[in-house]
Amino acid sequence: MIYTLGIDIGSTTSKGMILKDGSDEVASSIVLAGTGTAGPKMLMEQLYEQSGLKPEDIAFTIVTGYGRKTFQEADDQLSELTCHSKGVSFLFPQVRTVIDIGGQDAKVLALNDQGKMTNFIMNDKCAAGTGRFLDVMAQILQLKIGDLEKEAEKADNPAKISSTCTVFAESEVISQLAMGVDMPNLVAGICQSVASRVAGLAKRIGIHEQVCMSGGVAQNGGVRQALQNELGVPILYSEQAQLMGALGAALYAYERVMNK
Amino acid sequence: MKSVTEILEQLKAIAENPRAQKDALIASGKKVVLTAPVYTPEELVHSLGMVPMGAWGGDIELMEAKRYFPAFICSIVQSLVELGIKGVYDGVSAVIIPSLCDSLKVVGENWKYAVPNIPFLPMTYPQNRKPEYGKEFTKKGYEKLIEELEKISGETFEDGKLAQSIRIYNEHNALMRELSEVLADHPEVTAAQRSVVFKSAFFMLKEEHSKVIRELLEALKEQKPGEAKIKIMTTGILADSPSLLNIIDSNGLQIVADDVAAESRQYRTDALEDTTALDSLSGKFCAMDHCSVLYDVEKKRIDLIVETAKNHGARGVLMVLTKFCDPEEFDYPLIKKACDAAGLPIILIEVDRQMENYEQAGTMIETFKDMLGKNS
Repeated sequence: MIYTLGIDIGSTTSKGMILKDGSDEVASSIVLAGTGTAGPKMLMEQLYEQSGLKPEDIAFTIVTGYGRKTFQEADDQLSELTCHSKGVSFLFPQVRTVIDIGGQDAKVLALNDQGKMTNFIMNDKCAAGTGRFLDVMAQILQLKIGDLEKEAEKADNPAKISSTCTVFAESEVISQLAMGVDMPNLVAGICQSVASRVAGLAKRIGIHEQVCMSGGVAQNGGVRQALQNELGVPILYSEQAQLMGALGAALYAYERVMNK
Repeated sequence: MKSVTEILEQLKAIAENPRAQKDALIASGKKVVLTAPVYTPEELVHSLGMVPMGAWGGDIELMEAKRYFPAFICSIVQSLVELGIKGVYDGVSAVIIPSLCDSLKVVGENWKYAVPNIPFLPMTYPQNRKPEYGKEFTKKGYEKLIEELEKISGETFEDGKLAQSIRIYNEHNALMRELSEVLADHPEVTAAQRSVVFKSAFFMLKEEHSKVIRELLEALKEQKPGEAKIKIMTTGILADSPSLLNIIDSNGLQIVADDVAAESRQYRTDALEDTTALDSLSGKFCAMDHCSVLYDVEKKRIDLIVETAKNHGARGVLMVLTKFCDPEEFDYPLIKKACDAAGLPIILIEVDRQMENYEQAGTMIETFKDMLGKNS
């Protein structure tokens, strides 16, 4: 049996997965603390505890994500785009476009029929269209990030958030609150704003079905629905969307072992 | 004979400290004239016995220049003025600023107030340079510039001396073209080292730079090429950021050809024989093409990028976009479309002169390498 480990250290969360023989999940975990925190250490502890394995049982470890350069316990590192494309094409071989919205950036990946990445695009250095945008808005509205989806579902007339800049959008949301716009419509408008921004990015490299969302923001049904409306295509989604990078890293780690 | 490494170190020392080079030239009794980008007629300065020195700004935080420009102006020109205000260019005799993009057009007017101790000499180029009147307009512009340069140098312009300068510049062009081709066969020469070869040319007399390039070509002939890397081509206005070049090198990528204005683009066209040397120099500008700041309805540059990349076996194209550079931004969709049609992966990385965090650029280049290489 060959155990490989994939670690994805993002800006706000740390994710990890242990695979057996390059296909069976043995353990996976998500810690709500990212690079520069105790998150990666806690993640490793949880993965070993869950799997009953020890560090010496792991044949190869690959780290990815924003914090990959500072994580010392891996055998190699790869970019998160490379790992997300691998993870998604493993679970959904038919996917040709991956939209990955993380804590501080958004990426769109084009895959060919072999699951090989042929093109990609990242957002500019800007929080708009990322998980950070949703965090800021949730704070203003005094909601938990997980409640945004439920609120958005109740909307009947989503508010229009026209600013693409997070700072300006914050003022705009406060103005809308002052005008008495109700919470569900405001939240739906916020989700729509993220979707609109990311759809613009996605259209720059072209949308080819099937489309899949990965990354933390994929868990937000409000954004998924808004993005489906913007792009006019159905969007696949896995409950493990946030773990796609870690899965891809563990798959690459297995390939490294087999190619040795 | 010096080794490749020794010669590259020599050029690096010059490229990294143009101020010392300028001060040494002035101390030796030479007059130095700054030549802002792009296609500034250095040959005229050279023929009058002065040293033309490329002035493309520098990687610094912009403070003083903000008094003269809005934030959305290209950082090359902003940093040019910033360095001028901070006295880095003190001692030079003048600055020539051409009119080939909207940002450059406004620099000169601001320069007069921001850096009053260094005379500003405009060079207004025609947009339509192909018809005969375009050449005539260029020649008139050069004549006006010559009048100013004569006053500064105290010398009288002679067409014969310009012919000699043109020969030196044509020879340098040819050597730089040859070197770019030879470096494509030497993956052991890093992107950072390749950059200093081009950058150092801005700060040396061309006859002296040619001498070093000849030595480098000889040394390269004796050096066994290193292990192959993933070949890429670069395009853009400027691609000399040490952080960016370090990312390219650390990801095992080799620049085998470029379409960068501060690198190969300026060496493509020679001045050909004509009635007079001044006609020849005017004809050189009018014969230029394949550049975002040169008006061209056919956009021949686009095909040239694809063709150059393919001819050099580049597996992808890296476009280094100087932030707020409108001419390059206008060309990008066309370049991307052509590269996509040719099956040539392309990524765009936006940079500016005061950029410190290259984290996102690093992730993009690393992914690009994965896409072109084995992890895809």
